[in-house]
This record gives sequence, structure tokens and C-alpha cells, in this order.
Amino acid sequence: MAAPGLAGELSVTVVDRSGRGVGNVVVTAVPVEHGPAPARRAPSAAVMDQRNRAFVPQVLVVAVGSSVEFPNNDSVSHQVYSFSPAKRFQLPLYKGAHHDPVTFDAEGLVVLGCNIHDEMAGYIYVTAAPAFGTTDGDGTLRLQELAAGDYRVTIWSPLVADPPASLERVVHVAAQDPAISRIQLARGLRARPEPRPRRGDWEY
Amino acid sequence: MRSRSGAALLLVAWCARAAAGGDQLALDGELDLRWLHSSAEPSFLNGGVGTLRFDPGHEDVRLGRAFLAPRLRISDTVTLHAVVDAYGDHDRNPVDLSELWAEWRPFPTGAVRFRTRVGAFHMPISMENRGPGWSDVYTITPSALNTWLGEEFRTIGAEFEARWLGASRGYLGDFAFVAAAYGWNDPAGALVADRGFALTDRPSTLFGGLGRPPITFYHEIDRRPGYYAGLTWRHHDRLELRALRYDNRADPGAETEAGGGAWLTRFNSVGARLEPDRRCTLIAQYLDGETIIGPNSAGAGQFRMAYRAAFALASVEWSSDRLTVRYDDFHTHQLSGFYGSPADEAGHAWTLGWSHDLAEPWQLAAEWIRVSSHFAPRADYGVPILLVESQLQLALRYRLHVTL
Repeated sequence: MAAPGLAGELSVTVVDRSGRGVGNVVVTAVPVEHGPAPARRAPSAAVMDQRNRAFVPQVLVVAVGSSVEFPNNDSVSHQVYSFSPAKRFQLPLYKGAHHDPVTFDAEGLVVLGCNIHDEMAGYIYVTAAPAFGTTDGDGTLRLQELAAGDYRVTIWSPLVADPPASLERVVHVAAQDPAISRIQLARGLRARPEPRPRRGDWEY
Repeated sequence: MRSRSGAALLLVAWCARAAAGGDQLALDGELDLRWLHSSAEPSFLNGGVGTLRFDPGHEDVRLGRAFLAPRLRISDTVTLHAVVDAYGDHDRNPVDLSELWAEWRPFPTGAVRFRTRVGAFHMPISMENRGPGWSDVYTITPSALNTWLGEEFRTIGAEFEARWLGASRGYLGDFAFVAAAYGWNDPAGALVADRGFALTDRPSTLFGGLGRPPITFYHEIDRRPGYYAGLTWRHHDRLELRALRYDNRADPGAETEAGGGAWLTRFNSVGARLEPDRRCTLIAQYLDGETIIGPNSAGAGQFRMAYRAAFALASVEWSSDRLTVRYDDFHTHQLSGFYGSPADEAGHAWTLGWSHDLAEPWQLAAEWIRVSSHFAPRADYGVPILLVESQLQLALRYRLHVTL
């Protein structure tokens, strides 16, 4: 049940140059008007898994203050680290659920790496926005229970090569009809093929 | 006594860490049995002048290779690696070490990650030998270029790598600088000058030798360290480019009491590997250099030889299969120091490889190779200067990968 006065809905679709939906893109929506700061979304608990020498999901968006678990369900050990200003941490070598969750208490992008597998890269997007999510396989995200008003919609993905200024829109959300924003990328996506299966951790 | 208690301490520390979770010991290995059919000259490995590993006197069922490659984690950032090999030929050590090194890889605190390796290991040139124990993942036999690198070269010293990690700056790739200082590589160059290039999957081991009588490789003769320095660029996990300059800085006039000389060997090498999608791989590699022996005062009597080798490879994999085709081209040219026929070689080879993953841990691989080489010094042995050799191999492999 939608809370009274929060009946607005915003649907954001991200498409590439040829009009195909782009999944796993972070979308945040922040009210534009001045006034009392909107309620942040409550921190939550999230999971950043590791499988087949990759972070799963590759991109995770969480509210400021959220804690994230880093279970390793891969056949090999990983050493997860970040030296991003928003969160610096390292999880010494492990497999399974060996470490306590990590709390992300500052807004910003946290780039994850593995000290053993340089090709592994994961992203945790820590946001103070009251509404956020990631697009589905069709490139769409529906944000519901929004108060009516203007929202600044921002999208981000490691694969999107467009300049950040072109990835923002102001969208009006009415109490009744769902607002729809379609963002078409001007540049091609950066390529990132799935890592190939490899035996062991050998590097020559 | 001290070393024994040190080892015991290490073992206790390791057990404590193992109990805390995480794989402290990983063991890769392979047992490779071959069925062979050859129409080659007697191999140089068996005292002949042929350029392939096997010959009609060594057909039917043979041991291709048996190796164990343990990796022990000493701490979160320090690992110990070893590769122990057996090839089932007449090498003086039936079982020998091929590599042994310690690696220190501290956690990155910025966009540049550092790695230091100390010990004995292959230098980072080959774009083919990327499997455990420097195994070739595309064909049974590596290219002439990488065959030679496996035969005469091992870094016995220290290597430092600084790698700029692009992910933290929104770039999906990285850029690395690598440099090493090493010793015990003074004989490098002797084999290619004496025999020319070859195509075998029989790299040297650290303490063994190749051929009959065996040539050994890892000696320090002039007490001058060598170096290599290189750059690597990896772009979007699809393209990898490598360039490396090698110079063993040997004094070509230095000799051991037993008469062994130091070969001044230096080369430049470039390689590219493109993986446009999950299935296809394209590789090209090129190496160009020279080797010199004899005192500089010898003038035109000093032996100088230039060489270059290149190959191009295309490979496609689907479900459990991989099909690879490779073309090799190699040349040597003697510049001075003539005593007999000039050490001039011109050769090329075609290799067709196929592998099929059976139920784990078994793999089946097949390879046909045909090499045509023209090497003038063969005349001194009463062998035709031009050899056209071919070899068909079928390999059954048991591949081990366990973690403790």
C-alpha cells in the first residue's frame, strides 16, 4: 500500500545508441525543490558475492550507512580491497563467509578490487538519495511511492562512457500518472566481456 | 638446526592460518601421456639434429610431461610457488625443479599495485604459455620463439612490477611496468647458435640439461648481472600488449675453467593477444636480437649471430573443444666468426591443434606439426641442410587442481 501523498511513480529507462535497454545501471532520484530535506532511505543489509572470478552483482547501490557482506562462493580465494575515498578497507584472503559485513557510511563510489585477480572489478554506489535502484535487463527501473514534485534523476554505470553532465535529467512526478524518463546514451558502451574460465591463479 | 626450527615455525604458522579458513596450499599438476607418430630427423634431444621433440626412434606411447605446481600462502601478501617436472627422457635428473619463487604482493593503497618476485621463474613474454607450470593452453607444442625462451632462459634473481589499475579511475584496463635483475643466464644463446630454432614442449629444468651430451643452462660465468624491462597494457580484458627488452650483459670474453663461455644475448620482444569475444583468440609475437661469444679483441673472429622469430596464432573454443592454427617463422644469420658453415637458418612451421575437455579432470589433445628449416651447419654432420619434418601427437591428460 502506498503511503498517502506518496502515490507518484517514476519509470526510468536507459537505452544504448541503437535503442536497446541497458541493464544494471544505477539510477538515483533526488527532489529538486528546497525545503525540508527528504527522508533518506534507511540503511539496509546487502550482499556483494564473488563467483567465477567476478563480483556479483558487478554494481550494487546502497543507502548511506548500509552494511554489505562479501561472501566468497568462488572456487578460489579472494582478497577484496578498496582504496576509494568513500571507503578504504581490505579483507584478508578468504573463502566463504569469513569476514564481518562492511559498513559504508560515506556517500560516493567505492571501487572494489581483488589483490590476487587484477581483472576483477566491482562497484558499490553509496547514495544519500531518497529513491534509487538499478535497471533491469530491459533497461528499466520503476521508483514508486514518491511525493509529487520535480526530481533530479542521475544514472551511472562503469560501462557508460557518456560525460556525467549528460546523464542527469529533471523529471516532474505527478501524484497520479507515472512519470517516464527515457535516457538514450550518445556513446557506445564500454566493452567488458565476461572473464574467461581459467585454471588456477597462474600468471605468466 | 636453525633452518629446521625455522621450517617448523613456518609449518605451525601455516597450519594456524589454514585452520582460520582460506586456501593456504593450492596444488596444480598434470600427467600427460602421448601417442606419437613421427616423420622427423632424430631429435637434437636424442643426439640428432632434428628440430622436433620426438622422432621415429621415439614413437608410440611416451610420457609428455608430469608436473606438480604447489603454491603456498605464507601470509596474506606473500606466496611461495614451485614447479616440479618430469619429462621421461634422458635428462640427468628424472625429477627436477623448473621454477621456484616467492612473491610479495601488498594490498594496493592507491591506483598502483606493486609486485615483487624473488627466485627462479619464466620472464613475462610468452602470450601462449599462460597455464599452470608455464603450460601452453593453445597447442601441445609452443611456437619456435617460446620454445627457445623455455629452453635457455629463466630469471634467477628479482623482478619488480608496478601496475596502474584503471578500474579505480573509470578505465577498464591496466598498464604495467616490469623490470628484473638476474644472474646465472650466461650460457643463454649457445643452443640457438648451435642448433637453430626448434619446436618442442620440452623446456629446460633448473638443474638438468637438454640434448646428448646434455647442454646445461643456468651458470654464472662473468659475475655481471643481466636485466630485462618491459611494459604491458591490458585494455578492457580484450587486448593485451607486451614489450620487453632483454640483455644478459654477459662478457663474451669470459670463460669458465672448464672452457664454458659466456654468451652476450640481447633481444627485443613484442606480443599482442586479442580476445574479441569469449570464443576467439588471436596472438602475434615477435622477437629480434643477437648473441655474441668470444673476446672483443678477436675482431672478425668473434662469433656474432642475429636472429628473429615470429608467429601468429588463431584459436577458437566452443563447449568443450578448442581448435588452434599457428604459423611460425624463424631466422638466424651469422655476422662474424666463421669457422665452418655459417649459422644461417631460415625456417617456418605450421601447427594444427585440437583439445577436448572430457569429464573432469581429463583432457584429450591432438596436434599435427610440420616444420621446414634450412640450417647450413647441418652439412657438417652429413645431414641435408633442408629438413622437412612432421609429427602427430595425441595426448591424454589428467589435470589436478586441489586446494587445502
